[in-house]
Amino acid sequence: MASNATFVSKSGEGQARFSSKRLKKFFGYLVLWILSFLSLYPLAVMVLNSFKTDTEINGNPSGIPENFTLENYTQIFAVQGGLIGNFMNGIIIALITTVVSVFLAAMAAFAFSKYSFKGRNIIFAFLLSTMMVPHEITIPPLFLIFSKLGWVNTFQGMIVPGLVSVFGLFMLRQYMLGVPNEIFEAARIDGAGHWRLFWSIMVPIANPAIASLSILQFLGTWNSYLWPIIIAPDPSIQPIMAVLPTIRDQQGYAPLWATIMTGCVLATLPVILVFVIFQDKFISGVTVGAVK
Amino acid sequence: MKENISPVLETGKALPKVKSKVIRNVAWVDRLAPYLFISPFILFFLALFIGPSIYSLVLSFFRYKGYGDATFVGIANYVSILQYHVFWTELVNTIFYWLVHVIPLMVGAFLLAVLVRSKFIKGQRFFKPVLFVPNIVATVAAALVFQSLFGTQYGVINKLLGTQIDWLHDPTITKFVVVLLLIWKGLGWWFIIFLVGLTSINPELEEAATVDGASVRQRLVYIVIPLMRNIFLFAFVIDAINSLRMFTEPNVLVGRSGQLADPEVAPLLNLLISNLRGASFGQASAVGWILFVLTLGITLIQFRILRSSDEER
Repeated sequence: MASNATFVSKSGEGQARFSSKRLKKFFGYLVLWILSFLSLYPLAVMVLNSFKTDTEINGNPSGIPENFTLENYTQIFAVQGGLIGNFMNGIIIALITTVVSVFLAAMAAFAFSKYSFKGRNIIFAFLLSTMMVPHEITIPPLFLIFSKLGWVNTFQGMIVPGLVSVFGLFMLRQYMLGVPNEIFEAARIDGAGHWRLFWSIMVPIANPAIASLSILQFLGTWNSYLWPIIIAPDPSIQPIMAVLPTIRDQQGYAPLWATIMTGCVLATLPVILVFVIFQDKFISGVTVGAVK
Repeated sequence: MKENISPVLETGKALPKVKSKVIRNVAWVDRLAPYLFISPFILFFLALFIGPSIYSLVLSFFRYKGYGDATFVGIANYVSILQYHVFWTELVNTIFYWLVHVIPLMVGAFLLAVLVRSKFIKGQRFFKPVLFVPNIVATVAAALVFQSLFGTQYGVINKLLGTQIDWLHDPTITKFVVVLLLIWKGLGWWFIIFLVGLTSINPELEEAATVDGASVRQRLVYIVIPLMRNIFLFAFVIDAINSLRMFTEPNVLVGRSGQLADPEVAPLLNLLISNLRGASFGQASAVGWILFVLTLGITLIQFRILRSSDEER
């Protein structure tokens, strides 16, 4: 099809080329609009249903709310069964995990990118190769160890396994390799210590990569589900992700969709916020490592 | 050799020699500094990954209930898992989820990237974030929304179609709903990756081919796709690894009230979790290591296939 059109146009029939181009354009946009609609539709249903009562959702599962209500949102702050506590648990866990893991990764990445020391390449290659190992193999031993430490149903139980990110180390090292060595040599001659080289020179320069990694790390922890439900079965300490699928009526059978959808909006809000504010960093973070 | 050393470097090297005492101290600190920088990371890595991994490997040869003595059972844990029919059901499910979603996902994302980058489409700034958004929505939230969309009695899909299909109770149909969720969530991610990959191709190559009369399809097949082979390899390997470790999608979509999904639709990781909950730590660890071997195998096969197709060319 396409080759014919080009051929025709070359032989001078501009009209045929024009219409085939318009057709391509039309179908291209059609596909993009349909996919955009499909991307957003489930999210639209989520938001719309958060403004309905449970009874209305059953009769009107996707339309505009007829009896618009904010009750689901005030319910978030209820003392009994309010989701705000779980929301805050999730924020605390994700923030601490992000700060510590990015800091550890940045220090190590600095050494791996700007120092030559014995064993550097071997250690780094070994660390990279462990990215192939599914981390789930550590679930049984970590569960055993944490049980013996009394870390079941605690924040540290949920936070500590996320503190090491080999991916983060790899990502930051890639970025730091691109920072010219001369800057550090000059600073050394001016008498800067190693910590200053890292903290006052490398960290500000590598800020874009550090920000991207922080965003990815925050979202990864915020969205995690498996480990929290294993190590913290108590709903009062769980992050919001772990609680959402368990919201049921008094008989414990029917899902309370209005509350669940409102919880989903609440759980998605920080993510969307981060995405809208840091869109460019976000997308550059995603693509590090893939395209090199 | 001597001529190669520039005078600047020589003075630069000569400079610190003036204070020889300071130098010795500094040199000692210099040698230690990188180790100090990596040691926190390495310590955590040893404590949270290497240690537990070894512990897990050892555990997989023992019967251990979490208290009392562990009994050495050799490869009995592995044997009993391989003889357990649920293992095979869940393995087949996992491979089904992987194979059925990966082809439409990758082809779709690639064509979408080609489309958005093509000259006659405007509005990249709108389409890029919109198509990417499903990816950042938490898997739990996405799975719950899909659960409500595909409800039998009150679900939107059945309302729209005017049907009463048991989307989430009939295992055969349910598996395709899981695949739909995987594609919905994954498309934006690979779309962005492929888009960046396309942008990294030297535009002169494509222009030269266009001048020589190559069609859009010829340019894709003979220029773009071969140049992006490494990105495809990366995409397929990462997607395979993540598919084998899949847990949240099927369990939240199908599981009732936070319970695990039924074995007919469950992924392999469920066997690890159910063993863990049954306090069979040896068996749970063995499942983990089987998962590792599968990951390794699939990755190696993919490297083989994509590398050898390279050599043929």
